[in-house]
Amino acid sequence: MNNQPLVHENEARADILSRIRQGKPTPLPHPDVPIFPFPGDTVTNFETNLKNFSGELMRFDSRSDAIDWVRHNLISEGHTVFSSVNELKDFTTTSADYPDPHEANVIDITIGEGIVGVGETGSVFVTDKSLGLPAAALFCTDLYLLLDHNAIVPSIQEAYNILDLRANRYGSFYSGPSATADIEAVHITGAQAELSLTVLLY
Amino acid sequence: MKQVNQVKNGAKFIKDTLHRESHDRCLWNARMRRDKAASRLPEWEQMRTLASEIKRHTLSNLDRYLEEFERNATSNRIHIHWAENADEHNRIICRLMQEHNVKVVTKGKSMTMDECEMRPYLERHGIKVYEADLGERIQQLDNQPPAHIVMPAIHKLRGDVARIFAEHLGSDPAIDDPRYLNSVMRNDMRRNYIRVDAGMNGVNFAIAETGGVVVCTNEGNADISANVPPLLIFSMGLEKVIPTVNDLGIFIRLLSRSALGFDITQYTSHYHAPAQGQEMHIVILDNGRSQRLSSPDYWEVLKCIRCGACMNTCPVFRRTCGLSYEAVYMGPIGIVLEPSYDMYRYARLPYSCTHCGSCGNVCPVKVPIPELVFYWRKEMVEKRYDQLFHRLEEDGMAMVLKNASTLSNAERLGLWALRNLPKGILQSGLNPWYSSHANPEPPAETFRQWYKRQNSSTQRNSRHE
Repeated sequence: MNNQPLVHENEARADILSRIRQGKPTPLPHPDVPIFPFPGDTVTNFETNLKNFSGELMRFDSRSDAIDWVRHNLISEGHTVFSSVNELKDFTTTSADYPDPHEANVIDITIGEGIVGVGETGSVFVTDKSLGLPAAALFCTDLYLLLDHNAIVPSIQEAYNILDLRANRYGSFYSGPSATADIEAVHITGAQAELSLTVLLY
Repeated sequence: MKQVNQVKNGAKFIKDTLHRESHDRCLWNARMRRDKAASRLPEWEQMRTLASEIKRHTLSNLDRYLEEFERNATSNRIHIHWAENADEHNRIICRLMQEHNVKVVTKGKSMTMDECEMRPYLERHGIKVYEADLGERIQQLDNQPPAHIVMPAIHKLRGDVARIFAEHLGSDPAIDDPRYLNSVMRNDMRRNYIRVDAGMNGVNFAIAETGGVVVCTNEGNADISANVPPLLIFSMGLEKVIPTVNDLGIFIRLLSRSALGFDITQYTSHYHAPAQGQEMHIVILDNGRSQRLSSPDYWEVLKCIRCGACMNTCPVFRRTCGLSYEAVYMGPIGIVLEPSYDMYRYARLPYSCTHCGSCGNVCPVKVPIPELVFYWRKEMVEKRYDQLFHRLEEDGMAMVLKNASTLSNAERLGLWALRNLPKGILQSGLNPWYSSHANPEPPAETFRQWYKRQNSSTQRNSRHE
């Protein structure tokens, strides 16, 4: 069926690298990259910018208050709820229930852990582990992320400064729910992944 | 093959007032949001300089950084492939698909894959590819290429989308509310996501230090494509590598603000390994890039991070639409990039420019687009690929501008012509200006005459004092 010769990738690699070596410009220095200060109160910035991205914020006095609120308000009959959060997973479905990520399409509500918040953009950094199953966070209708207010840093640069990207196969800054502006640039919240994103800040 | 005639193609769009005005407005709004976002950061210009310097450093050490990226990615259990050209790129990906018995693919936005015409290649081999970005999907269903690198269907009106979705997805043709059309897309794509065998995405940045790739998107489609199916394939041009995570911070701060004027994209996702039971592949594409790197006058074009800011600001692009360039890359970056793929076919593109310089001013990595326009015009003249009309114009200008007295005579001649030539000539095809503007009222004197008079009267006045 496919009788074309196989691509000789090693040859391509060697040829490409040797052409680069021969033709590249004289090496230029790497500049010093400072971390620019980001003005304003970090938590206030976080809240403002999260709302700019159509995200919602709920404040709690403690983590256990946030967990209680979730247990009383989100976990109910008639909804498929997913969580990887330690205090919740006895009451919800977990990644063990979805050995194949395609199956996560049935999930209505997902509650995950936020690792770091970013004041500059209102983003929450999540990982494959902090979500339990990324497909659950993307396929669900409503996504809730727990976040410690002490874990909010002023800027994207400061977030990168403390994050170990390589430690996570998937790590992402989620900035509000999925959105699109592809038709006449009309901004629409709730595109192909979650329709709403709420940060449970404690 | 014929040369692309962007002027002729664009003229059709200019006449279509409804589409042209919407297109212009959408892009100019993005440009204004970009200005606002940039003005909120006092370090904006310093960051543009840093981004340019990081890219210059990386490109001038590109072999080293590509090897470092490959080493680290491989140790993260990512498979790296190298492709000389579009054909190799497509064959590598097709072979992976066949080995995994892939039937259904969801694909995120990727200029690299568009450059390789990968989708039709896979479809010829019996693999069903669904464009998963809304704009790309609209263009796929309408059998058109993307008209903008960030907003692929921005030249269309909501009514156009309603008609296309009704025809292909069975939606109500009478409802053109973008919210409804978005939900049609969402529901249709869910049917594909639950049976998808392989996900494909482009790459915004590849980090040498960590061996991972970064993808910046808004709709969530790229993250679904990357996290659900058992096979995950990324394509990247070899210029996408940057040295460190610290450098990445600068580019992420610049990218979305430049592209659409938002502080960040909804999803800024970093992929550093496959999931359990998943395979992850990255295809690194050359396709002329290493050649471009060796040209001392041209290599900085490789700094481009594909944000589209130059398109949003370009007065030619905003009024003529991306499709008029008949090229993968359009607008200012397109007219300086495409001739390097096919110099004859795209010989006229570098002339689709008013020299306003705006593209150079908004570019977040300082690609010297205005200078590169002249670089290509020079090449075209040397190869004799330019138009006779342009050559006469350029030779004429050179003659007139060579000395002050010729210029002053030419100015007087121009004024005389505007005053005295019959309407039949001034309002005809001999005067291209008149095709879309009224002729200006002829002033009483040339600027030079006015300036001389002012100057001498000022001198007289100062003598009196």
